[in-house]
Amino acid sequence: MTTLTRQDLNFGQGREAGPAGPGAGASGPAGFLERATGLCPPAVVADVLCEFLEVAVHLILYVREVYPVGIFQKRKKYNVPVQMSCHPELNQYIQDTLHCVKPLLEKNDVEKVVVVILDKEHRPVEKFVFEITQPPLLSISSDSLLSHVEQLLRAFILKISVCDAVLDHNPPGCTFTVLVHTREAATRNMEKIQVIK
Amino acid sequence: MADQLYLENIGEFVTDQNKIVTYKWLSYTLGVHVNQAKQMLYDYVERKRKENSGAQLHVTYLVSGSLIQNGHSCHKVAVVREDKLEAVKSKLAVTASIHVYSIQKAMLKDSGPLFNTDYDILKSNLQNCSKFSAIQCAAAVPRAPAESSSSSKKFEQSHLHMSSETQANNELTTNGHGPPASKQVSQQPKGIMGMFASKAAAKTQETNKETKTEAKEVTNASAAGNKAPGKGNMMSNFFGKAAMNKFKVNLDSEQAVKEEKIVEQPTVSVTEPKLATPAGLKKSSKKAEPVKVLQKEKKRGKRVALSDDETKETENMRKKRRRIKLPESDSSEDEVFPDSPGAYEAESPSPPPPPSPPLEPVPKTEPEPPSVKSSSGENKRKRKRVLKSKTYLDGEGCIVTEKVYESESCTDSEEELNMKTSSVHRPPAMTVKKEPREERKGPKKGTAALGKANRQVSITGFFQRK
Repeated sequence: MTTLTRQDLNFGQGREAGPAGPGAGASGPAGFLERATGLCPPAVVADVLCEFLEVAVHLILYVREVYPVGIFQKRKKYNVPVQMSCHPELNQYIQDTLHCVKPLLEKNDVEKVVVVILDKEHRPVEKFVFEITQPPLLSISSDSLLSHVEQLLRAFILKISVCDAVLDHNPPGCTFTVLVHTREAATRNMEKIQVIK
Repeated sequence: MADQLYLENIGEFVTDQNKIVTYKWLSYTLGVHVNQAKQMLYDYVERKRKENSGAQLHVTYLVSGSLIQNGHSCHKVAVVREDKLEAVKSKLAVTASIHVYSIQKAMLKDSGPLFNTDYDILKSNLQNCSKFSAIQCAAAVPRAPAESSSSSKKFEQSHLHMSSETQANNELTTNGHGPPASKQVSQQPKGIMGMFASKAAAKTQETNKETKTEAKEVTNASAAGNKAPGKGNMMSNFFGKAAMNKFKVNLDSEQAVKEEKIVEQPTVSVTEPKLATPAGLKKSSKKAEPVKVLQKEKKRGKRVALSDDETKETENMRKKRRRIKLPESDSSEDEVFPDSPGAYEAESPSPPPPPSPPLEPVPKTEPEPPSVKSSSGENKRKRKRVLKSKTYLDGEGCIVTEKVYESESCTDSEEELNMKTSSVHRPPAMTVKKEPREERKGPKKGTAALGKANRQVSITGFFQRK
């Protein structure tokens, strides 16, 4: 189950806006991916999630005005128009980051993926948290599964588009970073792999 | 009471759930005719605006009317933001209809979310999508499946025919979504996308020569600072003509504003400096960066540019030339000091193969003695020796100089003795490449040797130190 929560951090004033309202609205169209019975092998799940995260990151950068609007181009994803960046280095950066996340997603080691917007002094001003959890088994046919997933991801895109209603304007000169929170077991596994190497 | 209910519903959707409420979505959700939905939205906006409650509402309108463009009139239908409404209305010759298209809390940057909002609800009501619609046609009846496949080809042909005829009239109507973002964005991408295209082409070339990027920054700085076309010609002398011609075509197609951004890119390849140099000639608003670069690297820039011009084959020649230059400049004493560190820095990016450690204690040229670390008193002594060693440099190389340096406190006669003895011991085959390396090591060795020289008193002590 993937839920989208938004946190608005303002270090200067020590004010934190809880994700209660927007979170409630977003968990309604929560995405889910069925892993059991081989309907959706983990690789497919990871692919779908990575694709979605890429679109989401681009859209966040567009909506929060981290980069000038001129570098964005309208593209189609999930049958709706989305804004994607055309800057080659930015795209490469996002793709490389998600490429590293993919194996963790396949092993279900990822707890959450966080897109953090930082100001000039590298202090976080906003966080977009994508929580990834193992969904309960649902009885749904594979035919409608993908279309249902698509519908839910469309809802995600829509929610990101209107997020600036609940968020303040960011200061100029912001940058962003992507943080991946893994579960505890993942760290141990990665350490093991490194020791073996 | 019923009247109030829909207002509450809309309020809940917009304020609490932060949804985009389009008239179409509302009509499906509440099961009302689209015209009624439009009226509901209008009422809601009016009441909220009257109440002046804190929540800010953004409204989009659908405007349709006739427009006279290029001599012929066409029907325009556009979805516009509230702030652009009056401007669009004034352009229309006859305004056929205006109604509220959507209400939302967020200020939308483009029309994508509006489509997204309607997409799902329309898809779920596909069978009866015209149930609440105001667009009705009695003759429009669903086709039987057998007939549809055979007539699909006919439809395509007729569609093509139709499109060519009505293209002029329908230009504006097909682009239903109007001003909000399209006009502003369309001009920018040309410049920015063009920049990416040229960057992509240039990136395939060399990207690993940092000195050349520094040279680019310097040339940009100097070009931007002077803003003279003549300067551009000077810059072109530093770079190959072929590279300049290659990018002139790209440059001509780009806008001046966008070329500023080319100057900013630090990871640009070798050929990009040439791209950016003429860009710097045009008015650049980013003068702050070039000026900073100018201040830091102006001295280095010229030397780097000089080194970049020559190939590795002529590297030795260059080093020889530089060596000869430095001794000559040393005669002016004070002026040498800032230049010599610059010379070291310029050569460090493109270092010759480093000599083996035992060779490190070998020669230093004149620049070593005038190192900044030593005191002024010692400098005076060094300067004298520098002058003396000049004659030996040309003949045999650095060997002589080192000895001279160590025997700083000695008299001239002792120096001569030392020089003769040292020449015997040192291997004659000192390549030119090693000298700059030794020059760099020079200042360090100089200080160490100086320390030793100060302690040494007798001649024998000096001889033992081999």
